[in-house]
Amino acid sequence: MENFTNETIDTSQLPKFEEVTFTKLHPKYIRVVLISLVRIIAIVVLIPILLSMFKPELFSGRVWLILGILIPVFSIMLVVFSIIGFKKKGFAFREHDVLFRHGIIATNTIVIPYNRVQHVALHEGFISRYFGLAKIEIFTAGGSSSDIEIPGIEKEQAENIKQLLMGKIQKQL
Amino acid sequence: MGADFSQPQRQSSIGILVMFFYTLQQYARALWPMIVIWIFKFDEINKLYLTLGMITVFVGIGVVSYLKYLNFTFFLDAENEEFIITDGVFNKTKTAIQLRKIQQVNINQSFIQKLIGVYELDVDTAGSNKKEGAIKAISHELALELKFRLLENETIKSEIRTEETSLEETEQKLFEAVHPFIKISFLSLLKVGVTSNYGRTIALLVIFFSTIYENFQNFGDENNVYKEELGSYIDKNLVLQTILISIAFLFGIVLVINVIRIVFKYYDYKIARQKGSLLLSFGLLNTKSTIIKPEKVQITTVTRNYFQKKMGILELKIKQATSGEKEERKSIIEIPGCSETERDSILKLLFHQIPQKGLMLQPNFRKLIFSIFLSIGLPLLGFLAIGYWLEAVFFEYSYVVPVYVVIIGLIQYFKFINNRLFIHDNFIIKQSGAWDISNDIIEPNKIQAITTSQLFWHKKLNIGSITLHTAGGNIAFQLGNYLILKQQVNLWLYEIETSDSNWM
Repeated sequence: MENFTNETIDTSQLPKFEEVTFTKLHPKYIRVVLISLVRIIAIVVLIPILLSMFKPELFSGRVWLILGILIPVFSIMLVVFSIIGFKKKGFAFREHDVLFRHGIIATNTIVIPYNRVQHVALHEGFISRYFGLAKIEIFTAGGSSSDIEIPGIEKEQAENIKQLLMGKIQKQL
Repeated sequence: MGADFSQPQRQSSIGILVMFFYTLQQYARALWPMIVIWIFKFDEINKLYLTLGMITVFVGIGVVSYLKYLNFTFFLDAENEEFIITDGVFNKTKTAIQLRKIQQVNINQSFIQKLIGVYELDVDTAGSNKKEGAIKAISHELALELKFRLLENETIKSEIRTEETSLEETEQKLFEAVHPFIKISFLSLLKVGVTSNYGRTIALLVIFFSTIYENFQNFGDENNVYKEELGSYIDKNLVLQTILISIAFLFGIVLVINVIRIVFKYYDYKIARQKGSLLLSFGLLNTKSTIIKPEKVQITTVTRNYFQKKMGILELKIKQATSGEKEERKSIIEIPGCSETERDSILKLLFHQIPQKGLMLQPNFRKLIFSIFLSIGLPLLGFLAIGYWLEAVFFEYSYVVPVYVVIIGLIQYFKFINNRLFIHDNFIIKQSGAWDISNDIIEPNKIQAITTSQLFWHKKLNIGSITLHTAGGNIAFQLGNYLILKQQVNLWLYEIETSDSNWM
């Protein structure tokens, strides 16, 4: 390792990770996101409604009013952020590494070189499966913060990507 | 021997029972408050409904565990050299593990598994401490066979590992034979004891004084008549004296406890070299010994504060790559009270050269503003809000506010001033801390993954953050020059991807 010199490399000539074009998630995936959101919102909305019908004395009128305003605002924000979040997500497979971009307020880009991948998993959620989508999970030795989860990929394509990744891992060491 | 693992297969059919008990356990854990209530209200409950309910629950769990059993398969893909586990009833997961990446295969038996007579097989790869694959119910012969097959491909690796274990076993003997090249003297340990753990000391002081003050307050409240007389009397004569004495007393106690703790833990600290590895042994009552292999080292941290600098001592922390839970606790190794020359010789052994600080990056002043907002602004707002709307009594404690603002402000300011990232061809060094200033040193080839992050309103300002993930933890640097950071990321990626460097 010590005799590994790289003086001659011009850093401006290196392939730039920030200029990679990212592939968007499958358009159908937004439905999966929305359906799971509807489930959450339904619970958040239904419980107070039921309570207000059967036990209105639980809170004072003012609290009910605040709840009545906050819950719809919260729900709408949740939906808006999820849609933006979906649009911001993107992935790219380069020759030597995999990139995943996500984040609403901050743009986060995580890069994992193939020769650092430990194992790969293919996850199909209950709703995703209905739409024929799957999630690829790529694990490294760096703990959970350095793992990539790419949702919303067509099952067949996901299977191919997994195969490609496994091939890349094998070649590298 | 010769079981066929090439076809997807299920666990032992008796495994349904294991699944049943585990699922039952899971539900019981989640629903225990309800169960407790039922037990207390046992007499009031309609017995017929209870039995019916119980039957439904048990049948339900039975069906779930049967489905789990049906949907859990594992097989060895000989062609691609992979071990593949499929599981999940509604949410399906297919995990593929390269055989060459498998570090450990453990065969365990829990109480329930013992009752039923099956074993559990865990597959573990490097890094994360969670198990990558677990088969809950498998017969012993099959488990052994599978373990053999899983580890078959890595004869080389297992050879290294046996060497390693034998090294660890004979560590003690070896140590006697090898002449230690660094010994940490009793005096150094005393110095460490006196100069470290100020945070804890201050916290203790604060708690101590707040309770004392509280007691005074209560005393006053109960006897209003005495309050004024006593208050003025105490004010003038005793308070200052008592406070000064108790500060000195408390400092003394904390120092003594600290010194005793350090001496007990690190007495007779010896470091020896052995085939390029470091052998450490220390401890007063029970001598601990550990081994550091340079190639396994992920993050090396050098920490010192102002007093330690004056006394010429520093502390080294070394984080090794972890695999499996057993090593987790052993993985952080501390070397207290080294001198500078000792530090250099240890670093030389770990890195083959003394780490150099190259290009220096400093965070943008917005980082200071943000951390002051988080640590001073928000708590102050909360304080005001509670005071106004909930408990006006809170404002009696207003005198704490300026003290808090000054102390926290100073800490945040020094944290900001000391925060730096040094980038050299062979090293990345992150400096941080307010009082105890630490330098985290990593080599670029230890990086597992890189995350870059930028807030959208920082795009024009050209500032952004970076996190370097290693098998020993993360190194993060916020709000630096994003252009330079991105360039460095490209360079590090290039270096990692063009060489098959061994990171552990």
